[in-house]
This record gives sequence, structure tokens and C-alpha cells, in this order.
Amino acid sequence: MSVAEIKNLCKDYPSFHLNDVSFSIEKGRITGFIGRNGAGKTTTIKSMLNLVHPDGGEILFFGKPLCGNENEIKQRTGYSTGTVNWYPRKKLGEIVDVVKRFYGSWDEEAYRKYLGLFGLDENKTPREMSEGMKVKCNLLLALSHRAEVLILDEPTSGLDPFSRDELLEIFMKLKNDGAAVFFSTHIISDIEKCADDIVYISNGRIAASMPKDAFAREYSAPGETLEQTFLRLERGETNA
Amino acid sequence: MRNILRKELRLSASLLSFLFILFGFMFLLPGYPVLCGAFFVTLGIFQSYQNAREANDIVFSALLPVAKRDVVKGKYLFNCFIELCAAVLMAVCVILRMTVLKDAVPYRDNALMNANLFALGMAFVCFGVFNLVFTGGFFKTAYKFVQPFVCYIIAVFVLIGIAEALHHIPGLECLNAFGTDQFTLQMMLLIAGILIWLLLTFISYKLACKRFEKIDL
Repeated sequence: MSVAEIKNLCKDYPSFHLNDVSFSIEKGRITGFIGRNGAGKTTTIKSMLNLVHPDGGEILFFGKPLCGNENEIKQRTGYSTGTVNWYPRKKLGEIVDVVKRFYGSWDEEAYRKYLGLFGLDENKTPREMSEGMKVKCNLLLALSHRAEVLILDEPTSGLDPFSRDELLEIFMKLKNDGAAVFFSTHIISDIEKCADDIVYISNGRIAASMPKDAFAREYSAPGETLEQTFLRLERGETNA
Repeated sequence: MRNILRKELRLSASLLSFLFILFGFMFLLPGYPVLCGAFFVTLGIFQSYQNAREANDIVFSALLPVAKRDVVKGKYLFNCFIELCAAVLMAVCVILRMTVLKDAVPYRDNALMNANLFALGMAFVCFGVFNLVFTGGFFKTAYKFVQPFVCYIIAVFVLIGIAEALHHIPGLECLNAFGTDQFTLQMMLLIAGILIWLLLTFISYKLACKRFEKIDL
């Protein structure tokens, strides 16, 4: 069952065009969103978060258009936007205390659990945290309100291998609980490890959107890893 | 609405916005253009916009489960909250100057405007101009604030100059009434000032919502 559908998304910038981007995010599955720098990943994700206005296309969550249902959709969705530095001089506990009031489904137990798991200190301010800790702060907010869909822009960047591993395990657990996880990444081994579906974007177009197994069957040469496949495809060598 | 205002007060606001409310007491200064107090209050609010930009507050707010227009509403609620706090202080000063201090020599021998109900009404107009020119202008980009602030400074000082000059025009001496003289007229001028503040703020809010809706963050 699709929890999010992106249909024919277009966005024109002077030097970049997002063309007819279409894919869907399924309940209980992890979708890896992959593409090189400047391929259109962040523009697509920002459009899904209503931060960027598409020039065309449609974005649906839970069968409802994002436009006009923003509040309800955001209540049921969790976001993380990488290492952006929010309120650098405010304590994490103070930020959380303000944010949690916006969510009817705020789960204090889950919040405490992830706070401990990520090793975060409520008395620390973002300016006192490493880049990896900031990513974890964003994830903490995204994971603490029983989101049905998680949209995460490069959640594993800046994390050490242990934290990355823990995070991927959390994704698996959320998936087993029925949530949908959609995350962009440059680290193909993360996708290899936990993604069920792959959305591959190249030069502003969706080059492939399918289950990981089907992707490997269609594009990978025998014995080739996913990373080698992507590198070959990005070099323009399409023949597996 | 309460949540977004709480977010503004606890996360986005600069401490200076709260401290600068005290400039409302400038309504007690004799021989000073008292409406500058209103300008300093808005200067304090401006500090919060600087603070908010440094903290990526607009994008953070837009990611919360609220409609984009509520992000705009939060900023206007914050402006109005600070402005009303300052207006309360100014009103206390005006009441003091209308009653126990009505015959105080430093206030009587004052070429500048008296801090009466008309002055309080004009302070509301200054706040309305801030909301219209600065906050409305800020939401053209939700990022650039220098140009809207410079435009606001020009507009507000022209307004203060006009307000200071009016009672020197023959026939308009009543604007500078002391104590409870011309009370009905003074009260009407105050109400007119509040209505202009509400109108300018409402127009600006509607414009800002439209502008912010079109911005790519």
C-alpha cells in the first residue's frame, strides 16, 4: 500500500531541471533514494516537505494532496534534513519541549529511548555538538511522534560506522512496525544493507524505481556490487 | 496559535526584544521626542529576526506540523505581543502624565509633543508601520531584512517628524492637550491609532502569507 506518491514532479531552476519525477513509498518498506550530488535528491525531498514549490506534478500522502492537508500530513510524517543547525544556542531539552507540543502523537517513552540510544544530552546546545550528534538530534525529533512515514535527507552522513549501523537497525525495526522509511544517501552500502526499494535519480530524472532485487537483476552484472553498478551507470555505461 | 507563539518566545526571540520593551518608559522623558521609544521597541523586535535567521528558524518552523501561513502568523503574533507589552508601559506613563504629573513644569515647558493619548495612538501607528514595512518586506524573501529595515527607519522617522510638528500648526494645538483636556478628542485619536495599527498589521499579514507561500526555502 502506497503511503506517499510523487507524480510527474517538475521544477525548473536556471541551471537545473527536475523532470517528471514519479515514484511511490510503500508502507512497511525501506526505500533508498540515491543519486550523485546535484542529481535532484534534495529538491525532490524539499518538494515533499513543501519547502520548495514544484512547477508541476502532484504529491500525495495517505491518498491526500500535500497542498491543503499540510498540517495533518506532517503530524503523521517524520523528517530529518541532515546536519542543519537549528537554534545553535538553545538546549536540546528546550527545543524538544517546544516542538513536542505541536504533535498530538508525541511519544515521550520513545523520545527517552532514542535519547539514550543516541547518547544525546538534553542540556547540550547544538553548537556544542558534533555534526553526527546534530543528525541524531534531527532523527530524535523525527522518531519521537509515531510517524507513519519517515523522510530523511542523508540521515547517515556524518555518523560513525557504529551509529550508522544502529540507525539502520532502527529503520528495520520501524519497518517491521509498519512504518515507511524513505532516505537519501551517498553511502550505497547503507542501501545494500537495509533498503527494500531503490529510487535512483540521475540528472533530474528518475532512472529507476523498483525493488532492490529487481534492480540488481536488471542493472547489475554478475558478481557486481550495487556500488559498482551505480558507478557504471553514472559513467553512462548501461550494459550489464 | 499558542504553540507557534510559544515557539517564537522560547526559541526564536532575542533577549533584547524583551529588554527593549522598557523603552516604553521613554514616554516619561521630558524634552525628548517620545515616539522614539516606539522605534526602539521595534528595534528590539528586529533583533529577534536577526536571531531567527541565524538559527534557521523559518525552515525549522515550516517543517513543523503547521500550515506555512502559521509560520507567518507566529512572527506577527510575536510582533504584536511585544508591541502590546510596550504599549501597556506607555499607557502607564501617559496616565501618570495626565494625572499626578499633569502640572509638572518640565512637561509643560516642552516644545516637543506631550506624551498624551494622541501620542499613544501615534505609537500604535509606528508599530503598524513596522509590521507593514519591515515584517511585510521581510517575508518577500524570508531571509533579507536590511532593505525592509532601512525602509522602515525612513518611514517611521518621517512619521515621528510629522507627529511632532502637527501641534505647532495653528488649529491643531488640541493634539498636545495636557491632563484630561480635550479628553474625548484624545480618546478618539487613541482609538484611531489602534485601528490603524490593526489595519496595517492585518494588511501586512495577508500580504506576507501570499509572499511566503511563493518562496522556495
